[in-house]
Amino acid sequence: MTVEQDIEALDQFPVGMRVLAVDDDQTCLRILQTLLHRCQYHVTTTNQAQTALELLRENKNRFDLVISDVDMPDMDGFKLLELVGLEMDLPVIMLSAHSDPKYVMKGVKHGACDYLLKPVRIEELKNIWQHVVRKGKLKKKTSSVSNGGEYGGDSDHNGVRANRKRKDQFEEEAEEEERGNENDDPTAPKKPRVVWTRELHNKFLVAVDHLGVKEAVPKKILDMMNVDKLTRENVASHLQKFRVALKKITDEANQQANMAAIDSHFMQMSSLKGFGSFHHNHHHHHRQIGSGQYHNGATAMRHYPSNMTLGRLDSLAGRFPNVSSSLPRNHNDGGYILQGLPMASPSLTSQQSSLMASPSNLLLLNGQPQTSPPSLNPGFSPRFDINKRLDQWSNAALSTNIPQSDVHSKPDALEWNLLNSNLDTNPTTFCTNTDFGSSNAAQANCFEIQRREHGIEEGLCMGQQKQQSGFMASDAGSLNDIVNSIMTKEESQAEFSEGDLGFGWFSPLRTCI
Amino acid sequence: MDALVAQLQMQFRDYTISLYQQGFLDDQFTELKKLQDEGSPDFVAEVLSLFFEDCVKLIGNMARALDQTGTVDYSQVGASVHQLKGSSSSVGAKRVKGLCVTFKEYCEAKNYEGCVRCLQQVDIEYKTLKTKLQDMFNLEKQIIQAGGIVPQVDIN
Repeated sequence: MTVEQDIEALDQFPVGMRVLAVDDDQTCLRILQTLLHRCQYHVTTTNQAQTALELLRENKNRFDLVISDVDMPDMDGFKLLELVGLEMDLPVIMLSAHSDPKYVMKGVKHGACDYLLKPVRIEELKNIWQHVVRKGKLKKKTSSVSNGGEYGGDSDHNGVRANRKRKDQFEEEAEEEERGNENDDPTAPKKPRVVWTRELHNKFLVAVDHLGVKEAVPKKILDMMNVDKLTRENVASHLQKFRVALKKITDEANQQANMAAIDSHFMQMSSLKGFGSFHHNHHHHHRQIGSGQYHNGATAMRHYPSNMTLGRLDSLAGRFPNVSSSLPRNHNDGGYILQGLPMASPSLTSQQSSLMASPSNLLLLNGQPQTSPPSLNPGFSPRFDINKRLDQWSNAALSTNIPQSDVHSKPDALEWNLLNSNLDTNPTTFCTNTDFGSSNAAQANCFEIQRREHGIEEGLCMGQQKQQSGFMASDAGSLNDIVNSIMTKEESQAEFSEGDLGFGWFSPLRTCI
Repeated sequence: MDALVAQLQMQFRDYTISLYQQGFLDDQFTELKKLQDEGSPDFVAEVLSLFFEDCVKLIGNMARALDQTGTVDYSQVGASVHQLKGSSSSVGAKRVKGLCVTFKEYCEAKNYEGCVRCLQQVDIEYKTLKTKLQDMFNLEKQIIQAGGIVPQVDIN
């Protein structure tokens, strides 16, 4: 499309929306192409998933939406869907002749925005542009130019924009387009897409951790990370995603997940979609973070086998040697438990088999690190609740006993982070057990889980609001009760009951125990 | 020439309706026709020829897969059947699609005879459809050559 066409298209969105259609069946592809043209979209077709990926990778701003068949010989449509979601964060619509709900579910879990059955009708295609809007990708079509402005390069940045009025967006886009006119040239240097590798993400985490949630603004994080070619916008969008993920975790209040999963989750994508596939009730999180972009988080996470999460724990441990010291600072920070976790991880991983083997160990872990895995003690954060969570979390990560549904494991990791953030923000609350309000759902779940495990129930269950309410009912004092009962079981009371968690620095916590 | 045009148009109408009534075509074909306009006057013919090409290719695949001297890979057969089902449903080739559904069941049941039978039927069916559609397109051409317009046929 020429620049003029771009501007025009922009003004007339959804007219001119750029679609990439992928289907190995030439008949269907031809029909699809015509249908899309009839909807006044701009269509590019290919019958090879590999080609589609190349086209997308070559210029991620070239398309607004991808429609892909599910059954293709050179690559499974679901795989393509994931890759597109991970790498380009474009809305992807699946097409298939399979009407079996299993496939539809699979599509949704892999992050498809929609799943259409063949034969596709034009009416269905007339509304697909909504997915582009939902992803806040309206700007994408015009941000093919690297102009160093706020819109440059970072697709996730659009998420923030999505909150603004469409009109404003169009105006901005039009301006951007004009600015971009001069250098709207394929050979002009474009801002390379930032891939959030593990190292990069680690630096990010360290920076955020150091700064604390209040101070973790993109500029400062960027400075602290000190990475070449990383822009404030890249950090801002990554932070936004991170926060959304944290929020999800807190909302879920279920620490099962793999903290490693969340980490790997982040690692995986520089732009994740929201966790639509998680069946958790959302809890109110005091932080309203951007547009929900994580519904595909699960998909990324899903592919992390549990043994991988262990590996992650290890690496995390390596990365965050000073977790304990950072924790107090991160009092109000979400997700810094994640950082706390690594400390535990080496011991956890070593303990994993034993941990997984016996529920009592889990209980122990949940109760307090003092007992069976002594090595865990030093690793745990001083905060009582944090420890619990860490335990549950690491248990989850170790995950052999835990029924890990694809959907659940991932969100929990994130939840865990969010959960921790909640905890962090209400440390005393947690201690006193008086306020297990919505924000403490995670805590509630934490206990709930412990109790269940107490009852030798396998599997830390995820995202069940019931727990939360159930726990609420049990109310204050129960924390101590539970802990004590656990302790009793484990016969490690002495250490615990004194309230000396041995962590040295959370006196408030200690007193409330 | 008007009489000729009228006659051809009536023939065309009747013929088209009969194809629907006999189950050769369904609503999806109607949809395809709607997509045809001045911008793409041969759209339907184009798509159908692509479809018939696909048929040849896929049926070839199925035949090869079924013709194994060793064990038949039914999933391979099934994959081709699935694809044929998708494309036939997209063009409105109702009978072909119906056969594919049955064919798929035989594949899943790993029923060799059933599969072979279905393969033969699918082969016959797509060829029959091809002939019938060719006749229909010919009628259209004749109408146009006679100076008339191809009527929109209302399938009730």
